Amino acid sequence: MLKIEDLHVAVGGAEILTGLTLDVPAGEVHAIMGPNGSGKSTLSHTIAGRDAYEVRGGRVTLDGDNLLELDPDERAAKGLFLSFQHPLEIPGVQTMTFIRTAMNAQRKARGEEEISAADFLKRVREKAKIVGLDDAKIKRPFNVGFSGGEKKRMEMLQMTMFEPRFAIMDETDSGLDIDALKMVGDVVNELRDPSRGFLVITHYQRLLDYIKPDAVHVLAGGKIVKSGGAELAAELERSGYDQFIEAA
Amino acid sequence: MSSTPLITPSTLDAGLKAAFAARSKTSEAQAAAFERFEKLGFPNRRVEGWKWSDFNAVTRRVQPANDITNDNTVAPSVFAGLNPLEIQIINGRIILPESDTIDGIEFGILDSVGTSPHMEDHAIAALNVALTRKAFGFSVAEGVSVERPLLIRHINTGSTPIFTQTMARAEANSRVKIIESFEGAGAYYSTLFHLGVRDGAHVERYLLQDAGAEMVTHGFCGVMMGRDAQFRQTSLSTGGALCRHETHMLYPGPDGDSNINSASLLSGERHTDFTTIVAHQGEGCKTRQLHKGVARDRGRNIFQGKFLVERTAQKTDAKMTANALLLSDTAEANHKPELEIYADDVECAHGSTSGALDDDALFYLRQRGLDEHGARALLIDAFVGEVIDGIGDDGVREVFRAGVAQWLEAV
Repeated sequence: MLKIEDLHVAVGGAEILTGLTLDVPAGEVHAIMGPNGSGKSTLSHTIAGRDAYEVRGGRVTLDGDNLLELDPDERAAKGLFLSFQHPLEIPGVQTMTFIRTAMNAQRKARGEEEISAADFLKRVREKAKIVGLDDAKIKRPFNVGFSGGEKKRMEMLQMTMFEPRFAIMDETDSGLDIDALKMVGDVVNELRDPSRGFLVITHYQRLLDYIKPDAVHVLAGGKIVKSGGAELAAELERSGYDQFIEAA
Repeated sequence: MSSTPLITPSTLDAGLKAAFAARSKTSEAQAAAFERFEKLGFPNRRVEGWKWSDFNAVTRRVQPANDITNDNTVAPSVFAGLNPLEIQIINGRIILPESDTIDGIEFGILDSVGTSPHMEDHAIAALNVALTRKAFGFSVAEGVSVERPLLIRHINTGSTPIFTQTMARAEANSRVKIIESFEGAGAYYSTLFHLGVRDGAHVERYLLQDAGAEMVTHGFCGVMMGRDAQFRQTSLSTGGALCRHETHMLYPGPDGDSNINSASLLSGERHTDFTTIVAHQGEGCKTRQLHKGVARDRGRNIFQGKFLVERTAQKTDAKMTANALLLSDTAEANHKPELEIYADDVECAHGSTSGALDDDALFYLRQRGLDEHGARALLIDAFVGEVIDGIGDDGVREVFRAGVAQWLEAV
């Protein structure tokens, strides 16, 4: 599924990822935990194709396709989804129009048929209910006037609509209350299947109480410094990141 | 020592002089207007209010010729689907509907051409007064609501400078929608529009400039607002060599209410200038103004808005916003919002911004699957959308929206 080999990435001339290697096989959920400034967001943005991130070396492939030579929209059409840590407000862009336009752009790029207006409407209403966004919210301009938690719900709405093959969740849990955390867990667990992979980036164990990861990796100093099972998250919660910062 | 004038007359100046001299019938008012124009000349960038729209420079490129034919065939209007009452002004020739009264609107061709005091020092308006032969006039009878929009097509196809005028009146408590479209690939087009919106009348005016890149256009619209009159204006321009649309509004009485919105979409070296002056004299009038300008390449977006609130105009509520979106380093936006307030119990505000497309938003949209063009187009469309969405008439809104979509295809 997602393979990252010896990835070096610089931002503004400073190398943030310093030889990161990671393999998330299909059907698995992996969590990346790490302190502030360890390179978590650099990793998610690089995989998604943000151009301010300069890849100095290494490879990133999704099912064998070299992601690094694709545009962000081509990566999305391959089934890559990024749940943003700080989702934007886009005034003037109607939420439903945007999600449908994006879905159809992905489908078109894959040579699939566009979703009909009726099917789309039925599906978006059903999924909006699951993520806890009422009808009025999805009829508004995209994220305009939304709280932090509502914006994360909007990210989850898009994830359930797009049904990506591989999803990166960049601190989706930040700013969420218990009910919302549970909703995120439900959405991920519903989507989990043998062909799909997830990379969950987080500071805390609490989201992992709802999404049981197959593996947990510690990112420090721009590389994975320790990997283990779900129990590693609990250990980090007890002992903190200091030992890894020193090690890195 | 020989004395060479600092500014030599242009080919257009000479052509205009010859055109005026060749007129067999000119009124005293026209002679005086031409004299005023000769004294003032086309405004240049050193003249207040013309700093960014140098008519003197741009009109020097105009090479007038006598190339008007009698061919009156024109393609159907983009507004044809709205079943409008269509008036064509083809290279100055006014073509009216066959009947002179339709749906409560009375049409006519007027001999006299209009002047008004606030045009005294306006050289381009003076030139229009001097050279317009016939004016188109219409009035909407008291209390009548006209369902079909009235469409005035300003079509200019040649190198002959064209001057036209419209005199219109919406009588008390009437309702009418007026669409003006500027079309063709002509050289110089000047139009004056005097509009009276009488007590309690409601007038919508839509202006679409979608004409040739070499076109120099000057539109001057004077609006006189009655008590409780409502005026809704939305303009969309893709520019030309220099297109300036001026709206001069006066509220002599109380409780008038207007929205004056505009959007520019400019590419190449196209230039659009929306200049408005709204003079509040009566009490309790409300004005809302929103401008959105988008420029790429070397496009130039000009907005000048002035709210004058006189001592008598207490309880005025007036807000002006101008936003520019620049899509290249060489594109330009010049905004001049002005408030001049002499009354003390008013709510007036203005704001102006300019910027580029947001990289974070572009990346977000592309991560969701939109390609670069699609993501840019969506954001630009959203930017001008506020102006387009504000259009009250569904059919007109769709035509404007299609105009935006067409422009975006090339971005």
